[in-house]
Amino acid sequence: MGHAIRMSKVRKTFGKKVAVEGIDLELPEGALYGFIGPNGAGKTTSIRMIMSILFPDSGELEVLGKKSAVESKDRIGYLPEERGLYRKMKVHSFLEHMGRLKGLDSGAPLRKTVMDWLERVELGDVAKKKCEELSKGMQQKVQFIACVLHEPDLLILDEPFSGLDPVNMRLLRDLIQEQHDAGRTVIFSTHVMQQAEQLCDHIVMIHEGKKVLDATLDEIRSRHDPRTILFTPLNGEGDASLAAVAGVGSVEHTERGYEAHLGANADPVSVMRAIMEACPVTRVELRRPTLEDVFVEIVEGTGGGRMPAPEPTVAVSTGDLA
Amino acid sequence: MSKIFHIARREFAATALTKGFIIGAFVVPAIFVAVIPLIVILTMNAEAPKVEGTVAVIDRTGEVGASVQDSIDREIERSRKQVKEAVEKSQELAKELTGQSAPLPMGAEGAMDMAMGAVPELRVEVLAPNTDEEAEKDRLRPSAAEGEDNDALLALAVIDADAVLKADDQDSFGSFQVFVRPKLDDRVIDTVRDAIRSAVREARYTANGYDPNTIKALTSVQSRRTKEISETGEERGSMEALTMLLPIAFMLLLMMSVMIGGQYLLTTTVEEKSSRVVELLLSATSPMQLMTGKILGQMCVGLLLLTIYSGLGIGALITFSLGDILPVSAVIYLFIFFILAYFMIASLLAAVGSAVNDMREAQSLQTPVMILIMIPYILWLPISRDPNSTFATVLSFVPPVSPFVMMLRMTSSQASDIPFWQPLLSVLVGIIGAYCCVWMAAKVFRVGLLMYGKPPNFRTLVKWVRMA
Repeated sequence: MGHAIRMSKVRKTFGKKVAVEGIDLELPEGALYGFIGPNGAGKTTSIRMIMSILFPDSGELEVLGKKSAVESKDRIGYLPEERGLYRKMKVHSFLEHMGRLKGLDSGAPLRKTVMDWLERVELGDVAKKKCEELSKGMQQKVQFIACVLHEPDLLILDEPFSGLDPVNMRLLRDLIQEQHDAGRTVIFSTHVMQQAEQLCDHIVMIHEGKKVLDATLDEIRSRHDPRTILFTPLNGEGDASLAAVAGVGSVEHTERGYEAHLGANADPVSVMRAIMEACPVTRVELRRPTLEDVFVEIVEGTGGGRMPAPEPTVAVSTGDLA
Repeated sequence: MSKIFHIARREFAATALTKGFIIGAFVVPAIFVAVIPLIVILTMNAEAPKVEGTVAVIDRTGEVGASVQDSIDREIERSRKQVKEAVEKSQELAKELTGQSAPLPMGAEGAMDMAMGAVPELRVEVLAPNTDEEAEKDRLRPSAAEGEDNDALLALAVIDADAVLKADDQDSFGSFQVFVRPKLDDRVIDTVRDAIRSAVREARYTANGYDPNTIKALTSVQSRRTKEISETGEERGSMEALTMLLPIAFMLLLMMSVMIGGQYLLTTTVEEKSSRVVELLLSATSPMQLMTGKILGQMCVGLLLLTIYSGLGIGALITFSLGDILPVSAVIYLFIFFILAYFMIASLLAAVGSAVNDMREAQSLQTPVMILIMIPYILWLPISRDPNSTFATVLSFVPPVSPFVMMLRMTSSQASDIPFWQPLLSVLVGIIGAYCCVWMAAKVFRVGLLMYGKPPNFRTLVKWVRMA
């Protein structure tokens, strides 16, 4: 199986600021990759370089087997983070225009494809409206259609979920999943970890211009296993003697119950059994690390300082294009 | 290529197929065209309002009064003749220009009457030299004049006693004073004043023993229309007005279509950037394709306007049988120079549009480009006066003003003196200039499109050109 994207030692600076510093990345064909990282980490810059909208200062880049995306733009679908529509244009003419720019032949088949897509995302009745009359969520769906209309082999989605309500978020997730099932390579960036967790089988994390994580979800989970057992005692009161259970390093009282941190080399299964024997519990579970934990751990661990901003993506004033 | 074509097509459609554009480009000129015959019809049957009435004269000299009626009649006759001459002159001009006698358009005489004012019918009432001035002035008052239209007193002239014969203790002659009714047509006032002045003058001639007719004959020198001797030695009336108008008309046409096309390009570029549709477009096209498509699309808009307006102008000239004063080569060059000038100006404006965040920021950056266009407009007079001066010649090879200046020179009266290689060199220089402008613009365009935030100044733009 070939590679959809291959980057090696790709570096990009804007003035004195290093936006991307020596990223190596290989994306196999047909994969579904999530691109995560805090705001300003270099995700959009990396994606723009993959799209040949920006050009790297140094390093090698290969997209769909070509030296640059310029030669294979018609095989790529791209949903930029900074996206808009022609305000005065009708929805269907806008999509037809985008289709033609993507190399589709104009005419009845294109019109039909556009209408079919609009029906699919429940926008059939606004086809003749002007783009400016649409709500932000509707516009986003139109933009998504614009990037899958030409059935691309590679789909690059920059923050596709920002600003969508839960219903539309699910709709979009299904559509992305469908593209993936059809064998297309999909890469999308987000900083909402649950989405990455739900969709992706492989995660790439960029932080301060460097790749800090490139693994499958399972690998990440096992690598960043917090080795913590959660339990809630039946009588509501914890027992100090629990600390004496073999393998438990320390016990912490939290709002939801207790957290027992495993000691080094302790086997989680035997420790759980020991806890149940030590005190009757309503619940005991091995805590699975969420992607968010991993994310926060990496960002804070590298001294990057800030927590990932929880607010929805705002149109970043990228004076420095970061 | 097909992507460029699709972008150009959308650009053209989004600009030229809007209500605002159609109204501006078609309806307004159409209204102008429709209004011209309307004006002719309206003026054809229009007659200037007649002015009738009495002019009272108090002649304290006792020597002028008798000749005032004569003088006024002569004055009226003179203005009638002026109207007739003006009509004949315009016929003559048209004949000279076209080489055939064109019948005067219907209604022209009525229109002339309107323009020159009605020829008044005035009666003179000479009052006794010792009449009381104040009592007569009362007759001019509106209330008194009402109800006696036919015999209304329009004006009262009082001639000083020493107007004809100088009083011994004075250095100069006396004069006269005219009182008129309120809101009297100033052309009637002029007639009365001129008539009395010449009556007084004649009375002075007689009193000093000269014959007024001899004096008049001696002082009158008729001036004839200036004639030009052409290369073939034939005489023709010089067409100063037209030869001045033709170059400026051509240049304005050129400037207008370049500016409108360029302005639309700037607006749509800023709009694409501020609405953030641009990155979606860039996922399908390269910046160069996008810019080329946009430039070509708006060029079609400019060409459309140029064709409409030059077509109207040529149509008008042919209607008035003045078609031959327009050299065909000038029209061809008009379109060539349009394309060159447009590429230079529009690509610079596209670069400006890509660099800014909104129209407000665009204003300040586009000013230098606009000044470039204004240079030939400011220099219009010196260039068209002496189109083959060193200054004008050099300027016609300096892009981006070269197309405008060459156009001015080629439509001027001395166009035949321009060596044939000069327009060709100007075109060549224009092509090089257009190439450089597009090249620079493409660099700014590529960087600028994705730059948001602080509006750039010229130093940043230069940096982008170097960087890209």
